[in-house]
Amino acid sequence: MRRAFILALLFGGMQLILPLGTAGQGSQVLLAFGFLILGAYTVGEMAAAIRLPKLVGYLIAGAIFGPSVFGTISQEATDRLAPVGQLAIALIAFLAGSELRWGEVKQRGAALLKIMTVELALSFVALLALVYGLASFLPFLREAPPIHALAFALLFASIAIVHSPAATMGILTETAARGAVARTTLGVVLVADIAVVLLFSGALAIARALVPPATGAAGPSLAMVTWEIIGAVLVGSLLGGAVALYLRFVRRELFLFAILVAFFGAEIARLAHVETLLTLLTAGFVTENVSRRSEGEMLRHAMERSAAPVFVVFFALSGAKIDIEGVTTLLPLVLPIVLLRAGAIWAGTRLGARWAGVTGLEKRYVWMGLISQAGVAIALATVVATAYPGLGDHLRTLFLAVIAINETVGPILFRRALADSGEIPGAERPREAVLALASLRRRSPDDSSAA
Amino acid sequence: MSATLTLILIVVGAYLAAHVAFDWLARRFLIVSGAEYLILGILLGPQVSGLMSAEVVDAFAPFMTLALGWIGAVIGTQFYLPGLVRIPGAAYKVAFLEAILSMAVVAGPMALALSRLFDLTLEQVLLPAITLGAAAAASAPSGVALIARRLTRRGPLVRQLEINTAVDAFVAITTFGLLLCFAHAAPQGISRPPTATEWAVITIGIGCVGGTLFHLFVGGERNIDRLFISLAGAIILASGAAGYLQLSPLLPSLLVGAILVNTSRNREEIKQALFTVERPLYFVLLIFAGAAWRLPDSKAWLIAVPLFLITRSIAKVGSARLAARLSGMLPVLGADWGRALLGQGPLAIAIALNYLVHNNSLLPNIVFTATVASVLLTDLSSARLVQSVVRKQLRRVIPRSARETALPAPSPEEP
Repeated sequence: MRRAFILALLFGGMQLILPLGTAGQGSQVLLAFGFLILGAYTVGEMAAAIRLPKLVGYLIAGAIFGPSVFGTISQEATDRLAPVGQLAIALIAFLAGSELRWGEVKQRGAALLKIMTVELALSFVALLALVYGLASFLPFLREAPPIHALAFALLFASIAIVHSPAATMGILTETAARGAVARTTLGVVLVADIAVVLLFSGALAIARALVPPATGAAGPSLAMVTWEIIGAVLVGSLLGGAVALYLRFVRRELFLFAILVAFFGAEIARLAHVETLLTLLTAGFVTENVSRRSEGEMLRHAMERSAAPVFVVFFALSGAKIDIEGVTTLLPLVLPIVLLRAGAIWAGTRLGARWAGVTGLEKRYVWMGLISQAGVAIALATVVATAYPGLGDHLRTLFLAVIAINETVGPILFRRALADSGEIPGAERPREAVLALASLRRRSPDDSSAA
Repeated sequence: MSATLTLILIVVGAYLAAHVAFDWLARRFLIVSGAEYLILGILLGPQVSGLMSAEVVDAFAPFMTLALGWIGAVIGTQFYLPGLVRIPGAAYKVAFLEAILSMAVVAGPMALALSRLFDLTLEQVLLPAITLGAAAAASAPSGVALIARRLTRRGPLVRQLEINTAVDAFVAITTFGLLLCFAHAAPQGISRPPTATEWAVITIGIGCVGGTLFHLFVGGERNIDRLFISLAGAIILASGAAGYLQLSPLLPSLLVGAILVNTSRNREEIKQALFTVERPLYFVLLIFAGAAWRLPDSKAWLIAVPLFLITRSIAKVGSARLAARLSGMLPVLGADWGRALLGQGPLAIAIALNYLVHNNSLLPNIVFTATVASVLLTDLSSARLVQSVVRKQLRRVIPRSARETALPAPSPEEP
């Protein structure tokens, strides 16, 4: 009741204020930001009350108050709040990197690579085949020659296999889950993110060879992609080293410092033309592994605190970008794609886990954390839309519809996976998880990570 | 250099300055102004080096609005009702009289002068003149706070100075906030534009709704992260709404701050969260304010600005003396206790900057230049002025032996 009253007060207040102001002012962005923090957070709490992830509540709030339904947050305001998205991505990447410890990477790196390889390969092949097979049903590919259909199916599949580090970290931050399922899922998502950038660059090069873009727009060269990856590791390492030095010798005002690091890292990555996510991921990883444990924890806590309002607005903005009408129109086409992708992820993860010798809860639940899609996929789809203005735009629209479903369903599934595997602190541990855990402990008494 | 990177470097600079230079200057030389950041802003801005272009300054307008709101909220946290009711009525009488008299004594002559100098009617110059009056009423709290920290026990003079700085801020913000309601241009595209009274109700309503939202949001919550989200949300929403409606963000945020401390069980945590962000934010605001400064086109500023400085000094000292005399407090406070209120502080800059970026303002550069000049001149010596007034008063009312324990000699090493 209290939450409904807050929402009514907020929404009513905005409806009164909006007609009285002047559009196009900077303060409108501030107003939208404040509204989204309070409004989306309230909807997030409502979602939590019915056992949905808060993140889904933020997305729903964004969709409802965004341009496609009530229009409380205008398209202009969402565009001008883009830096919040960059900040959120940077914070997410840094936090994700700081979750990884060198010992764990050495111990589990091979297993993560195996799971990721099989999962990505299976998803890619399945989606390529599906889109190529559905070409005659897709309005924008119906008239296209088979070679064009193949090129676009290739591009589509290379983007559709992307996961969402943002949603994964968002759920992990919200639930504070740190068990085996959580860590394996995060590991796969992060490694896959790098692999997908490479795969997409290859797919775009092949597509450009099969169907030369009419605009003559240059795609990323191999040297560029290499620099994006290696440069990101270099820049991220330097940044991480500097952060570790700050933690060692200054250690003050970590709250502000955390925001500055994220902003600075994102900006430096942009200026150096390196992958932002990987740069901040490396910085977080270096910071965590070079600093003393307590220092790293202090920064992580400060970053989680400063990230809280940013995450709320970031996911609400992601929701605001969902074109509900567009999704509804494309639903008959989108549903088979979403279902096949989910099936391929499930099968690929299980096969990969078997290959890697991973059993128990991870084998069973990790796939549920890989369904989410968000910012990276949209960015890659935009690259295609720029290279192929006509068909690429249609492809992007189709993607946005696929992403809209995956970014809503994905967090729900991941939270469910964490809850069922008993990794959410304070939540009741299901009997099934207790039994699985007991069986794991019997097999390897030293491994206590699942606890 | 990109705008974001510029902002990052400025924040880093302000942050370092706040934590290294500020503490050291305060300890060593009793300088608590932050006026040096204004000068840094002027040097970085388009008028001098051009390192911060006009576009960069404009791009960060929302950030400035937020800083104004944050300053308003911090001031609002001083108005904790259970604490306020314990203060004797005479202290309020002195404080309100001093604040209102100072404002009137500055606004009146400045209206006449501006009218003559710029060939405008008295009605036209009311807006800049009252804005100057509101800025003149503001007194720097940092100097008083620094001296109060050094005292082993606070006498009635220091307590009065603390009350006065709070009341000065309240009067300045309220006057300026309501002034913008009366000078509001009619928004386009609506059948009946709101009247001045309705704008005033909207201004107060934004603050009250922002504060109420925070209260509803938090409920019985004691988690500091949740408190911070709702705190940031309420201040951002209130400042954004006021800025969007071309109203002053200071007044609604002051109300938000006052509601926060009076309704939350986590009063101290809220104040701490506000203060943590306030100081670096204030220095960034000063730098942007410096960068936003433009030399006025008309040469008449050469008369208007010194006139403001002189009028304000006379008004502050004279009004303080008159207020004390009318309230029967002159023997306690001394004849020239108003000198301790000469430091102008961040609020004056906030008011002038708010006026500068307001769409409907007249002579914005004159108002801004006069305020900046006054802040630069008075802030460097504000703590020393407070100290000299307090020492003089102590010498008058306390025997020599007791004086030594009441006000220890300033030491460079003293924290």
